[in-house]
Amino acid sequence: MTWSEIALVALAVLAVGLVFAWQGASRLDRVHRKVAASRIALDSQLVRRASAAMELAASGALDPASAVLVADAVYTASDIGPVTSPAAALKMDGLGAERERAESGLTATLREALGAPEAVRGLRAGPSGEVVEGLAAAWYRVTLARRFHNEAVAQARRVRRLWYVRLFHLAGRAPMPRTVELDDALPHGLEPSGG
Amino acid sequence: MITIRRRGHRTLRVGIVCPYSFDAPGGVQFHVRDLAQALQAAGHHVSVLAPSSDDTELPDVVTAAGRAVPVPYNGSVARLTFGPLAATRVRRWLEGGIDGRPYDIVHLHEPMVPSLSMLALWQTTEPVVATFHTSQVRSRALQVAYPLVRQSLEKIAARIAVSEDARRTLVDHLGGDAVVIPNGVYTEVFASSPRRHEWTGTPSAPTVAFLGRLDEPRKGLHVLVQAIPAILDRMPGVRFLVAGRGEDVVGETRELLGARASSVEFLGGVSDADKAALLASADLYVAPQTGGESFGIVLVEAMSAGSVVVASDLGAFQRVLDDGAAGALFRNGDPADLAATVLDLLADPARRDAYRARAAEWVQRFDWSGVTEQVLAVYEMTLAADHAIGGDVVGRFMGLFPRRVGGDA
Repeated sequence: MTWSEIALVALAVLAVGLVFAWQGASRLDRVHRKVAASRIALDSQLVRRASAAMELAASGALDPASAVLVADAVYTASDIGPVTSPAAALKMDGLGAERERAESGLTATLREALGAPEAVRGLRAGPSGEVVEGLAAAWYRVTLARRFHNEAVAQARRVRRLWYVRLFHLAGRAPMPRTVELDDALPHGLEPSGG
Repeated sequence: MITIRRRGHRTLRVGIVCPYSFDAPGGVQFHVRDLAQALQAAGHHVSVLAPSSDDTELPDVVTAAGRAVPVPYNGSVARLTFGPLAATRVRRWLEGGIDGRPYDIVHLHEPMVPSLSMLALWQTTEPVVATFHTSQVRSRALQVAYPLVRQSLEKIAARIAVSEDARRTLVDHLGGDAVVIPNGVYTEVFASSPRRHEWTGTPSAPTVAFLGRLDEPRKGLHVLVQAIPAILDRMPGVRFLVAGRGEDVVGETRELLGARASSVEFLGGVSDADKAALLASADLYVAPQTGGESFGIVLVEAMSAGSVVVASDLGAFQRVLDDGAAGALFRNGDPADLAATVLDLLADPARRDAYRARAAEWVQRFDWSGVTEQVLAVYEMTLAADHAIGGDVVGRFMGLFPRRVGGDA
């Protein structure tokens, strides 16, 4: 092989590498963006759910013990979780174990406070029906947002594992995205159109 | 039921893509048609892109994307639309938007079927919601094209499966997850359907209905036919009303039943109105399907119309019947158990009333009003995520150039 041939081969390798790098970078950019955006959406739904739960606690529709416990669970959740700014979302580190625990706690408390499906039906028909509907809507959207977010995280992790993404360090210092694991199961009476 | 409109609820422009032709309507086409109608009723702007030949009459909202070609695919013959011309038409439809303004949401049905939806997914830059209908996604050909398709799949912001079974297939074959939003039914259409005198049973001559292709073994007509003698031995007055295409099996079935064939009436293919009337008139509706069902929409229609459902205990049917609370279940493929279940029910009007009462309440979760609210919630979450961090920078840069055919490169 002459020098010129070697140079040609090297150039070709370089070109192929550049194409892979460009492709990988734009793909990575897309999935990272998706992770961050879906996390912001999830966060804002959780905040909406918490405020609907607070409204319910203050409405007098629940018994006093449940109302106090629900309000306490809401405060616990909202004390930990500051509303996510885009910069914080780009850290892509899930919601943090503490926040996830607090939100799961709110879920469990609400489920206990709302009681059996018949009781929920009674609440919805009562004077606080609108508040309960608001809670149901926000809660259902939390379950959607969390699934979409975790889906995005799974995709991002898949792209991060590609050999050329790792070879060129395309992800830079961005942390590996983590899924959000929390209990958001709707109680039976609140499932959409389950009444 | 979530009836409250969210604050800040706005009118959306939704583009829906259906991969199958409206020339030969099937489950997915009906779903798309009804969803479009329900979204319009909720005040949104909708445009549907579907394959269709020029001479087929289409609902106003449907844009025809050209003829569907019958091609062998995945072991059977499917009518699909593909090729460069189709790709161009999809691109024009995507660029056209509604009244010259771009779509807020592009909702693709069956994006893994190699037809219009796949082409749309490949080219779209709008936020994408995808609905998966079938319980079979994987094919060998798809494995070959998978590296190409997988990047496209990353564009889907939200995945919907129409049933738990469809969701499980999706999870197994493509990975990832989906939210389950059931197929919608306009329950009121069936609940208010008039009865037909000749199909209405009497205490001495109750009627039992069957619906489905006669020559498709998975629809289970043979299971019912084998159960008929045992039923007639105990209750000679029972009349069986069998509706569905597949006339060549009729003679064969009559022969099999011999003298008892006079108790079975073959109605052939029936119109939508006749189907509703049949389900409203019959005392029992039998669903002896042996497999391949991912949802069971006819069961919901029968429950809405007020007939009592007797169904095989497939997973999908158990779920649609609330684990046997809204209708009776028998052992799949077991004619003796079917006969016993039918006889029990015909002898026990109180049990039939109990099923009917539970079913009337249960079907509300499948009504389009509730289903549409759930779909809109998915749209809302998709848009929330899309707006949270502005558009795609790379996409915007590439937007300086005309949209390439092949949005993924």
